[in-house]
Amino acid sequence: MQRSSWLGLAFLSPALIVVLLFFMVPVVLTGFFAFTNMSTATGVKGGEYVLNASGLRALADAGLPAKTLDQIEGAGYRVDARGLEALAADFGQPIADEFGKLHTGEVFAKRRDVERALKGLRSNPIRKTRDRKAAAELFKRSMMNERFPTLPAFEAALEEAKIPEADRPLITKVAYTGWVWTAENFGFLFSLESTWQYAKNTGIYVVFTLSFNVLFGLFLAIATFYLPAGQASTFRAIWFLPRILPPVLYIVMWRWFTWDTGFISTVLSGFGVAPKNWMLDTEFHAWTTIVLINGFVGASMGMIVFSSAIRAIPSSMLYASEVDGANRLQQIWHIILPQLRWPILFITSYQTMSLLTSFEYIYLATDGGPGGATEVWALAAFHTALNNYGGNLQYGLGATYALLLVVIGLLASLAYLRLFNFRNLLIKPRIEG
Amino acid sequence: MTTLVSKLRQSTAAAVLALTAATVAGEAFAKDLTITVWAGGSNDSDAYRWEAIEMAADILEREAAILGEDLNITVESKGQFGNWQEFKQAVTLAAEAGTAPNIVVTSHLDIAPWSEAGYIVPVEEYLDIDAWPLNDIYPNIMEIAAFDDVQWGLPQDAESRPFFFWKDTLKKIGYSDEDIAAIPARVEAGEYTLQNVLEDAKKAVDMGVVEEGYGFYPRVSNGPDYAQFYQSFGGELLDPDSGKLVLDKKAMEEFYQFFVDAVDAGITRKNHLGTDWGQWYNEVANGKAAIWHGGTWHYGRYAQEGNEDFWNTIEFSLIPAGTENGRANTITHPLVYLITDNADDEAEEIAANLVKIASEPRLNTLHAIKSNHLGISRQQSNIELYSNNRWADEATDRLLAHANSQPNHVNYGAYSEALFKGLEAAWTGTKTPAEAVAEVEVQMKATLGDELIVR
Repeated sequence: MQRSSWLGLAFLSPALIVVLLFFMVPVVLTGFFAFTNMSTATGVKGGEYVLNASGLRALADAGLPAKTLDQIEGAGYRVDARGLEALAADFGQPIADEFGKLHTGEVFAKRRDVERALKGLRSNPIRKTRDRKAAAELFKRSMMNERFPTLPAFEAALEEAKIPEADRPLITKVAYTGWVWTAENFGFLFSLESTWQYAKNTGIYVVFTLSFNVLFGLFLAIATFYLPAGQASTFRAIWFLPRILPPVLYIVMWRWFTWDTGFISTVLSGFGVAPKNWMLDTEFHAWTTIVLINGFVGASMGMIVFSSAIRAIPSSMLYASEVDGANRLQQIWHIILPQLRWPILFITSYQTMSLLTSFEYIYLATDGGPGGATEVWALAAFHTALNNYGGNLQYGLGATYALLLVVIGLLASLAYLRLFNFRNLLIKPRIEG
Repeated sequence: MTTLVSKLRQSTAAAVLALTAATVAGEAFAKDLTITVWAGGSNDSDAYRWEAIEMAADILEREAAILGEDLNITVESKGQFGNWQEFKQAVTLAAEAGTAPNIVVTSHLDIAPWSEAGYIVPVEEYLDIDAWPLNDIYPNIMEIAAFDDVQWGLPQDAESRPFFFWKDTLKKIGYSDEDIAAIPARVEAGEYTLQNVLEDAKKAVDMGVVEEGYGFYPRVSNGPDYAQFYQSFGGELLDPDSGKLVLDKKAMEEFYQFFVDAVDAGITRKNHLGTDWGQWYNEVANGKAAIWHGGTWHYGRYAQEGNEDFWNTIEFSLIPAGTENGRANTITHPLVYLITDNADDEAEEIAANLVKIASEPRLNTLHAIKSNHLGISRQQSNIELYSNNRWADEATDRLLAHANSQPNHVNYGAYSEALFKGLEAAWTGTKTPAEAVAEVEVQMKATLGDELIVR
């Protein structure tokens, strides 16, 4: 390679790093999460092994023999020679002697019972709660409610409890608290009716918002083109406001505008219209608001791109058309629009991609309401994986939603490339060597 | 527990060593510690959720000083989270990142999943449950902070969720003062049911006493309240014998149907869910709605909204039964103090001791009365601040005795999410109640698997 190519690569490297960090890594992670059953309860970092009352119930349901279940539960807490010896070593011979004299052979169901027995001793050097608990633990003869950090530790405990080999795989499976690989998320997702509803919602959202963005952006660009320069920039600046306003503030203004006691209701009540929530009243209201909220933001981008593209049209063409007697509409139709073809294609494909995955304005405005009517695919992924009332975060399932969105996005990009013949756009001018 | 024992041995050995070293050096044993507390679902009046920890830290420091230890605890607290969603997201992600706060004040329903994930440690590892003040806490509330026979947390407060009636509206539709005063008892006896609610609310709307959509004015977002209506129609959340969650399809459908009927009758708005909470509180506190439901803490909130005369304007009762199969009921949803898993064992122990001290009757009473929650322990009725409070007294008497809680189950979050989604779909008319229940069934079966019983 030539040295200049290396230089190019060096200049490109920040962009490559950003793409790697903020696109490739998340996509790979999403793909990885999507094939797991990760949730709040399993955690992300892997699991440990613990048998508790729920686990025992599950094992009983799975048909584990009662004898094995008894072995797992074990004896609870038993005062035996082994425990007394350990007690003597840690806390002194006198206490071990007295405890042994009073309780040898006794079995306690819970540690709390052992603690009570220890408290009842006459010679009692244990004055701290935690020491007493540690002393009681010395008599534990069960593996219940104990967290084993690794598989070998758990297997050793099973071995020690003399659990039959045949039962161990099932017990290990139930005891594991971490996540496991699974492909069930995909089947589950498509078995839900609401998934199709999200798909439909996303379709409505993208098609209507996109049309609004492009058409309104075009309208603004062309309208301001024919205005005197000063007025044009003022109008553009005003239409640019929704984009530069912080999203939360922008949505708070919309909510205030549409609320039961908000601007529209107050104004219309003067005309005898009953106040209502103009954002959430029906699906139609919700969609109209969502399309407008996103549309105003999106249209400003189209406006900027189209405006500059129009300025790139040689003004001699416009003058010539005026000399030929063309009116404004004819100018727009025959000169401006044909030359805006590439910018329009660019805005259309770019905005399709960003709308597919964007949900922040919907989240802030309707949060998917009313009744899930504006719950788009990306918002559903967010709610499932990261944000719901019960704190039941299903990372695996949420990632499955997100992964499908990535796939759909890639397919849509390919379709756009083909449909709009981007190669034609990027072809080298014949005139240059 | 072998690891625990060895850990304990190590820490004891370390403490002995440190103590010896300190004695040799002729200095007192010094320890500086920062304890962080995060509280979910809290507003200004709930400040004692963390202020009680600060007070407890002061007491613990003084106790340590008497024993010759120089213990300095800095309590850092955070009680402002946008909503429950954001709080739980924050705690969960912090726990995954290893930066969880030492003490969390949260719903008891988080115990099951968070213990499974290893985010929290049981308080019973550090505290003597038989000793005061823990042995004074009502056993049924203590039980709500336990899961799988392990005492994971300590109850932070108690509450329950009543039905409210605007007295003036009832009078205008033909109730006498005596009739109104008799409602709580009639609800409890199952004589006044949700069907009567529909009738009375409709009357209030038809007679123009309240506006359309304000006859019955429910909670505006997901919450334990909706499980109450499922219970009103005879639904059971957990099968006590098998420990599995229960989907009672008939009860679920009748429960959804009730809300659809309310919308059809024009007494509840179709788009009610998602109404702004501030607006909602203001409306119900000032008589814009005929009948609604809420929580015991609403008592204080209504005063903030300008209703200083609760007792003469509002009547409260249990959630009425829906049908003969159901029962009048209310859910108590205590928040609990939980200790998170921390690399520093001593921080866990100190955090556990702080929540223990914060649970003492006098400290808890400060929270109970300031925030209009109910007490957690018997001795609180011997503290004048508590016993002289009419609301605490009557609400305890009329509601708490009949209260049950939602089950601590690893999958209850998914269950409750599905229940609400179905309700939302039926309520807004996206689905019929039967269709909504069918989807809930699919969703629950898939997420809960063997842990679900369908009836």
